Amino acid sequence: MTETQVLAPRLAARDLDKRFGATRALCALSFDVRPGELHALCGENGAGKSTLIKVVSGIYPHGSFAGEVLVDGVAQRFRSVREAERAGIVVIHQELALVPALSAAQNIFLAHEPTRFGLIDGARMVRESRALLDKLGASIDATRPVGELGVGQAQLVEIARALHKRARVLILDEPTAALSEREATALFAVLRELRRAGVSLVYVSHRLREVFELADRITVLRDGCSVISLQARDTNEGELVRHMVGRAIESVFPAPERSAQARAMGQREPPLLSVRELSAADTAGAVTLSALSFEVRAGEVLGIGGLVGAGRSELLLHLFGAWGKRLSGTVELGGAQLDQPTPAQCIARGLVLVSEDRKEQGLVLEQTVGFNLSLAHLHTFARAGLVDEARERAASTRQAEQVQLKPPRLDLPVGALSGGNQQKVVLGRALLTRPRVLLLDEPTRGVDVAAKAEIYALIAEQCRAGMAVVLVTSELLELIGLCDRIVMLVDGRIGGSFTRAEATEERLLAAALAGRRGGAPSRSEEQRAP
Amino acid sequence: MKRDVDVLEARTSGAPFDPRMAPRSLFMLGALLAVGVFFASYGSLSGRELGFLSARNLSLLSTELASSGVLALGMLLVIVPGHVDLAAGSAVGLTGGIAAMLVIDPAGLARNLLGLPMAHADGLSAGVAMLVALLASMAIYALMGMCVAYQRMPAFMVTLGGLLALKGLHWKAIANATVPVAPGGASNALAALTTAYIPMAAAWLVSGAVFVLLLVASFVRGERTQRARELWLLKWVVSGQLLAIVLIVCGRYRGVPVAALLLLVVALVVYVLTEKTTLGRYLYAIGGNEQAARLSGIRVERTTVVAFVWMGAITALSGLLQTSYAGSSTTTIGQLMELDAVAACVIGGASLKGGRGSAFGVLFGALIMAVLLNGMTLMAVSPEHKLIARGLILAFAVWIDLRFARRGR
Repeated sequence: MTETQVLAPRLAARDLDKRFGATRALCALSFDVRPGELHALCGENGAGKSTLIKVVSGIYPHGSFAGEVLVDGVAQRFRSVREAERAGIVVIHQELALVPALSAAQNIFLAHEPTRFGLIDGARMVRESRALLDKLGASIDATRPVGELGVGQAQLVEIARALHKRARVLILDEPTAALSEREATALFAVLRELRRAGVSLVYVSHRLREVFELADRITVLRDGCSVISLQARDTNEGELVRHMVGRAIESVFPAPERSAQARAMGQREPPLLSVRELSAADTAGAVTLSALSFEVRAGEVLGIGGLVGAGRSELLLHLFGAWGKRLSGTVELGGAQLDQPTPAQCIARGLVLVSEDRKEQGLVLEQTVGFNLSLAHLHTFARAGLVDEARERAASTRQAEQVQLKPPRLDLPVGALSGGNQQKVVLGRALLTRPRVLLLDEPTRGVDVAAKAEIYALIAEQCRAGMAVVLVTSELLELIGLCDRIVMLVDGRIGGSFTRAEATEERLLAAALAGRRGGAPSRSEEQRAP
Repeated sequence: MKRDVDVLEARTSGAPFDPRMAPRSLFMLGALLAVGVFFASYGSLSGRELGFLSARNLSLLSTELASSGVLALGMLLVIVPGHVDLAAGSAVGLTGGIAAMLVIDPAGLARNLLGLPMAHADGLSAGVAMLVALLASMAIYALMGMCVAYQRMPAFMVTLGGLLALKGLHWKAIANATVPVAPGGASNALAALTTAYIPMAAAWLVSGAVFVLLLVASFVRGERTQRARELWLLKWVVSGQLLAIVLIVCGRYRGVPVAALLLLVVALVVYVLTEKTTLGRYLYAIGGNEQAARLSGIRVERTTVVAFVWMGAITALSGLLQTSYAGSSTTTIGQLMELDAVAACVIGGASLKGGRGSAFGVLFGALIMAVLLNGMTLMAVSPEHKLIARGLILAFAVWIDLRFARRGR
């Protein structure tokens, strides 16, 4: 490894700066990978890992960011993924980019089919695919449709395709997220083999044990900057977690004592929402939530944390009757059973969801603010199906003021608003239904700092008025700053629960990372709430 | 880029009418005027008595427009939530066929459709026959709507099946014969749909009274700003003049055609449904973002079925009008009308992806299509060229819409 250090980097990024509107996704980020090096990228959700990958792989074309990307010391101006691939940079995304109906060989040669007399040379495709797959030690029938293969095998097909494109830098984004232990081990062997053959590897993973098992070097990203690059043998998990989190808690959160007061009031009454031993499966029958139990009282914020894919959104959607099939367990809302309800029934009974993706699941973008604000509550403004527009406008105007929409106009198309204002519209719609329990899924994602503070204040205000809130968020600071109690989900189970006093970023992150299949031996046992 | 900004500003500046529709409304008005002027000048140049702008032709045009316009308005209710109805033309034929058979030979209908051996039965009254046809159509559309909503079958395929099956049913119902709408050249309510005219005295009286009532109601509600008051006055003066012109033209022929009045009523109903009811809002929400609609507590499936049932009722009315206009139910009634209806919706600004379109726009689209057809008929354009022209105009309208009048998501 000492000799690799003297070589020029295979891929280097210098002073990358990338903005999305007002949000700065990358700031002065520098990063390099040497030939034959396995370099791990670590960081919380939203630290800038995906953005970095998209910049170096040509998904964000040259000119859409500041700074430069160099391959073997030469500055590159990738305008497309294809150009990046020609320079030898290939990404294997978490969602595999394979055509399920085509065979492994057809996928490997997709868009690069060898021809003979103008016709596709199928025999050669299969022959060369077999050679590539053999090199990876994969026993995959090259003529079988990829859709019939397991995830691990499909991933090897993608790696074979990358090799066929003569990849010199292979970037893997959370490759083991969907793999079994055995498949992961097989993958690691392949990656080590590639490294020996001189391929540079960039490996993104939340699983620290894997990172230490594989990586030569580790770079930690936080808030779009590279915090530190460390030789893997010189560091440990604790140091890494500290670097991933390390920052002071900002004072944007409302003072906790007021919320505690309201909570004390709520303690005298039975919980508004009580979930016992809840298990649920997705439509394919895979168990995604298992044996979850928690309660939320009036005036209380329950935080739900965990990594992407831990089942947080699924939990909220399931409670709201919009996802999955209940396998066992009970949900009670204000003391009454809530069995496989529809969203309409939930809203009627005072349970409302603000979903994670406001563009995909929340807003009718072509319509106005007013249209979107009143949508869930419209029937109450109607008599015999006819909408009383004056009443509707009055209620929507009040709601727009309460959520501090800027400007508080109902006639603007909602698609033209900023992320923060769009989020306020979705929140306002939920609040307009006068819920008793509010389920919030990532309410501040893609929202500027000022709007964030306003949304926090709004949540606190609702709690003071006796509402119970369940808040799902990837931001540890929000969990600590906003929630009375925190539950960390790990692979659909509860991996640890904390009171506000017990919660620190290190403890929460450790609970989210530990307990995972293939994760580090659980250090969270001692941190679990008594 | 610049255009995007312009559109955005046009959308957000408090224009007096729906700012999003403004550019395309003006464009469509211009197109309609251009087509009208073209046909009018052609007529006068060739020195014909019965030109495009003659009272007789305009009266005929409004009757012709009635059945296709009604169908297009119904189609809007299915297109807004993101579906389409290819069975409409066949359903037009079927409902007219059922009504005609019930008037002429109910026993024959039972025999043809169900194979029931019935000796003879007297013809039903036209009113009852029309009601039965209406209910049958609503039932058929409820079934198709349920396939789309609950079984998640694509509306394109469900209604394509409907196109074939309902056409077969229509032919079976009338046994491939020509069935008149009224026995022995007499008249009845079914025939009257397209042959009756409202006497001018009554027309002036009623429309004048309605106009004044609406004017007073609008005045009482009041407008806040000076500019709004001026626009209000302008709006009422212009619409009053338009109403007077329409009535005067009608008066120079036989009176106000009942068919045109029915079209107006349906347009009003569809306007209220889409703009003023929860159903309409929900349809736009479903078409714009089904997931968001669902998570807002909208019962997407039920709402979709209701839209289809409305489409069934409106299709039946269109079928009765079309059959009445033809004078008898034949195997070709309704042919290709579903495509004209979709075309009118698209020309009128509806999006086939759902979530966009207005009753006003669709009425305009249907009017443009009808004027073109009528004008070409007057110019003695051969049927094959008429088809080609309609196709090209549809393609052109969609291109204009994508190019100029719409901002991508």
